[in-house]
Amino acid sequence: MREAYIVKGFRTAVGKAPKGFFKFKRPDELAAETIEFLINSVPDFDKYWIDDLIVGNAVPEAEQGFNVARLISLMGLKIEDVPGVTVNRLCASGLESLAIASAKIKSGMADCIIAGGVESMSYIPMTGYKPVPSYNTVSQGKEDYYWGMGLTAEQVAKDFNISREDQDVFSFNSHMKAIQAIKDGKFDSQIVPITVDETYLDENLKKQTKSEIFKQDQGPRADTNLDVLAKLRPVFSANGSVTAGNSSQMSDGASFLMVVSEKMLKKIKIDPIAKLTNYSVAGLPPKIMGMGPVKAIPKVLKQSGLKMNDIELIELNEAFASQSIAVINELKLNSDIINVNGGAIALGHPLGCSGAKLTVQLIHEMKAKNLKYGMVTMCVGTGQGAAGIIEII
Amino acid sequence: MKRNISKVAVLGSGIMGSGIACHFANIGVEVLLLDICPNELNESEKQKKLSLDSKAVKNRIVNEMFNKCIKSKPSPIYSKSFVKRIKLGNFDDDISKIKSADWIIEVVVEKLEIKQKIFDLIEKHRTPGTIVTSNTSGIPIKLMSKGRSDDFNKNFAITHFFNPPRYLNLFEVIPSPNCDKHLLSFLLKYGEKYLGKTSILAKDTPAFIGNRIGTFGIQSLFHQVKNGDYTIEEIDKLTGSIIGRPKSATFRTADVVGLDTLISVSKGIYDSCKNDESIEIFKEPDFLKKMVKNNALGSKTGKGFYKKIKDNSGKSKILRLDFDSMEYVEQKKVNFDILSKARKIKASNEKFKFLVSGDDKGSNFYKENFSRMFHYIQNRIPEISDSIVSIDEAMKAGFGWKDGPFEIWNYIGINEGKELMKVYGLETAKWIDDMLSNGYNEFYKKSEGIVQYYDLKSKKYKAKPGQEGFVILKNILEDKVVWSNSEATLYDIGSDIVNLEFSSKMNVINQNIISSLKKGVEIAEKDFKGLVIGNEGSHFSAGADISMIFLLSVEQEYDELNHVMKIFQDTMMRLRYSAIPVVAAPHGYTLGGGCELCLQCDAVVPYSETYIGLVEAGIGLLPGGGGMKEMILRASDKFKKNDVEVNILQEYFMNIGMGKTATSGFEGYELDYFIKGRDITVMNKKNQINIAKQKALNLFDAGYTKPIERNDIKVLGKQALGMLYVGVDSLRAGDYISDHDKKIANKIAYVLCGGDLSQPTKVSEQYLLELEREAFISLCGERKTLERMQYMLKNGKPLRN
Repeated sequence: MREAYIVKGFRTAVGKAPKGFFKFKRPDELAAETIEFLINSVPDFDKYWIDDLIVGNAVPEAEQGFNVARLISLMGLKIEDVPGVTVNRLCASGLESLAIASAKIKSGMADCIIAGGVESMSYIPMTGYKPVPSYNTVSQGKEDYYWGMGLTAEQVAKDFNISREDQDVFSFNSHMKAIQAIKDGKFDSQIVPITVDETYLDENLKKQTKSEIFKQDQGPRADTNLDVLAKLRPVFSANGSVTAGNSSQMSDGASFLMVVSEKMLKKIKIDPIAKLTNYSVAGLPPKIMGMGPVKAIPKVLKQSGLKMNDIELIELNEAFASQSIAVINELKLNSDIINVNGGAIALGHPLGCSGAKLTVQLIHEMKAKNLKYGMVTMCVGTGQGAAGIIEII
Repeated sequence: MKRNISKVAVLGSGIMGSGIACHFANIGVEVLLLDICPNELNESEKQKKLSLDSKAVKNRIVNEMFNKCIKSKPSPIYSKSFVKRIKLGNFDDDISKIKSADWIIEVVVEKLEIKQKIFDLIEKHRTPGTIVTSNTSGIPIKLMSKGRSDDFNKNFAITHFFNPPRYLNLFEVIPSPNCDKHLLSFLLKYGEKYLGKTSILAKDTPAFIGNRIGTFGIQSLFHQVKNGDYTIEEIDKLTGSIIGRPKSATFRTADVVGLDTLISVSKGIYDSCKNDESIEIFKEPDFLKKMVKNNALGSKTGKGFYKKIKDNSGKSKILRLDFDSMEYVEQKKVNFDILSKARKIKASNEKFKFLVSGDDKGSNFYKENFSRMFHYIQNRIPEISDSIVSIDEAMKAGFGWKDGPFEIWNYIGINEGKELMKVYGLETAKWIDDMLSNGYNEFYKKSEGIVQYYDLKSKKYKAKPGQEGFVILKNILEDKVVWSNSEATLYDIGSDIVNLEFSSKMNVINQNIISSLKKGVEIAEKDFKGLVIGNEGSHFSAGADISMIFLLSVEQEYDELNHVMKIFQDTMMRLRYSAIPVVAAPHGYTLGGGCELCLQCDAVVPYSETYIGLVEAGIGLLPGGGGMKEMILRASDKFKKNDVEVNILQEYFMNIGMGKTATSGFEGYELDYFIKGRDITVMNKKNQINIAKQKALNLFDAGYTKPIERNDIKVLGKQALGMLYVGVDSLRAGDYISDHDKKIANKIAYVLCGGDLSQPTKVSEQYLLELEREAFISLCGERKTLERMQYMLKNGKPLRN
């Protein structure tokens, strides 16, 4: 079979939603500028070579609607020849788009695809503007199909006995790792600087404009501590343990990678950096969607023929501390190789972007440490899990 | 000259200053609230590397004080959205802004030299002609006006608010020696009409009227308790609701006010009223000194006369102070025979007569207590006021007494009171003896629908002021009664408008009230231009009388229950569809059925303190008297093309499902119980029925036509129902609600969506009424709903099950 190579991958810094530095940055523009940067990073690249743009997005409506991928292509590439498709597997969308791109290239359907994801939770609420659960389904007692994610995190905490203290410690560590990573400049080479122009009314209602460049993740807090975290009240359940402090943050961000065939590799004359060798998704009860990786990880290992021990680095999306800990416990994963630079609790979780963003982070870290096999995995709303294996070339 | 107040500057942001600022914001005035700048940085400012010049530091005191006020409970502000009417600042940077204020109110610490510094600042920046008032409760105005300019003094007075300014209705006005007469009458009128207060003209004497008499009342009880004749809890039982005083009575009130405050007011009076014949009463008793030493200052220090503790089982319990040991001990059950008997007497005059008629411990308490009070108040005339009305009204408004002290004396009889006083060696004042010998045997009497009082100056009866322009139901003559039954009265209130007054317990809607509503509409349609539904009880209506609903439910008489509910609905619809305008005048609790009643009227004229809500879910039910129907109709009328309608509907769902109650006559608009542009909120309760009457008359004069029943109400069916079910289930999963709450909420959702119709559909009012009635009756068949109703009937509060 043909191979599919990742040659480049970048992400934006992640802004907090809904009041962070990208609150005025439309998601289509954010994605377009990321893609522009990605293309420009490949010398002598002709953008007419791109066969398709695949954009992961979890709530494709309003500013993210109207098949936003096609609009991003038009806006970012500034030519009308590259089509675009929007892909939605909620929190796995960014990884899903990479998987589709790799599969298409492997099967000969394409030679060059830009794949990744974007999400603006500042612009679009998590459930979209018009949530309309099916009456016929929910009136049969299936309300949990539509539960908010926080409730599922509570359910996981309850079913798998994850204490509040453990969740808070996990979250504190996430912040500390992220702060250290930023200090060490670990993300510098993967972040696309983004300019935000704002036209606003000042105190005297006079029109003003300002322009600022953002290239550092906004989420991590150096000043957090276990006392502060312990004081936060549960937000999803009266007597629960899931707080704003031990949940992932709402975020804005974009991340894209270029995936090419061997033929294209020769054309653009650069060395590939990695491959998405395997990818699996799995279903489980929506109530405990946080346990998704427990089903997806064994499946992808089986598919690849690798053992858990072969995996040297893991990005496990920290949707919630409760589910992250439960997944680690259930699969007896080695905590030392998971989220070494912090996770979504500190760095943020721009839903449809996260899969691509975590892949970019993983590849950069593995390259730096000279590792071979890594994994990106996450739980996915309405009871799913996804896991992909990255092989560094 | 006509004065308009559109901007007020309040200088000093303590509890009173912030509270006054909020109350002006409440009535729609723009407020500038200023306070001093701190003279040193606090820890967090140091950490942030701020300097004394930074804005955040300079405004720190005003910010902190104001935020504390806003967060206090009960809320000082009618609606959170009114807070933005108040701008905060500091004396250094913002004092010049007072030049655009129409009224400047000084509320800084009670120290003359500091106040004078503030007055210097005010003189420097105010525009001539601007009103300046001080909220002092103790500093004589003659001292404050010394050295001030003519224009300042001409426009200067004390305006004394009571804490909390939103809730306590007394507004004492004391003019400066050279105060302009027009200003004085302006302030008194403004206090009544705009601030909604009882405005009282007082003299420049220590503690003015309210605090002088009120402190005497508390101090004299301190002495009675000190003598060991009565325990704390006994006195509170004797001086609480039974004699029309607040439930907190004497000692709990003292705890809430704070002993330090009480002591300082008492000391002020003690030091400056050497000629007061009862001055020794104001001397601090020994136990108070001990309490201060123990830091038992009341609620603010966690203990006072009472202390709340948690026992071993985690239940909270209130202990009382024992003066011998100065320890907190269990309260004893208080049982006075006369109290249970007196509770059954409805008429005030008979009740007070009864209370002093016996010879037991309870009666003797009243005899002595009232005698001393009568003796004290008679001797304060003319020292603190020339008028018995001022003293009575001040105590009613400032201390929440239902009856003023002269009114109580009047109930007992002047001569009888005189005899009581003799027993304790107390003499009546000369003016009273003169009055009696001239054949005037009453302080107050009613004549031709107007209350008259005995005026000392003219030695004649005069009309009690403040009645002009108001409709006071209890003064209306019996020949104005158009119709009545045992719990409702229909009055002709002039201009061809009738008012229906409820008088059932808590004004609950029972069969008598239902038939009075039908009768009221029928009579008004025949002979009048409009109907007002209003009363002067403590509350407009606490809701439907659930005792019958409970009985029928227990006996599973569902056909009969259906019949009763149908009559209830039909009556409500009769208000909606009548040939005359119907205007409701709610105040206080306006809950459940009381709220539903208002929802059907053509207009509502709420009092500013109206707590309206559809609270049926709390007793396991849903609004079944047309309340659901009306809220669905209102939601439907809000839908505009391309709206996400379910989001609009969801707000209504939350309000009904959670039994949300508006905390003021303004917040009611935000919950859509009142309608902006149609309804009018009235600041002064006394003015309410009059404005409602004008409203009904306006509607009639504009050409009122009976409305046509609606059949264009858009319900969303399954499209919204799925979403609401998920929301309810999520609350259940999060343990915010019980299984039974979920059941009730799902029923409410079902009715709100017009049932499980496949698509959004336009329906009629009757369709919705049937749907809500059906859901109501089905909930009546639930055991847990019956438990809730039973608990409410027994304990007067909701059960969570």
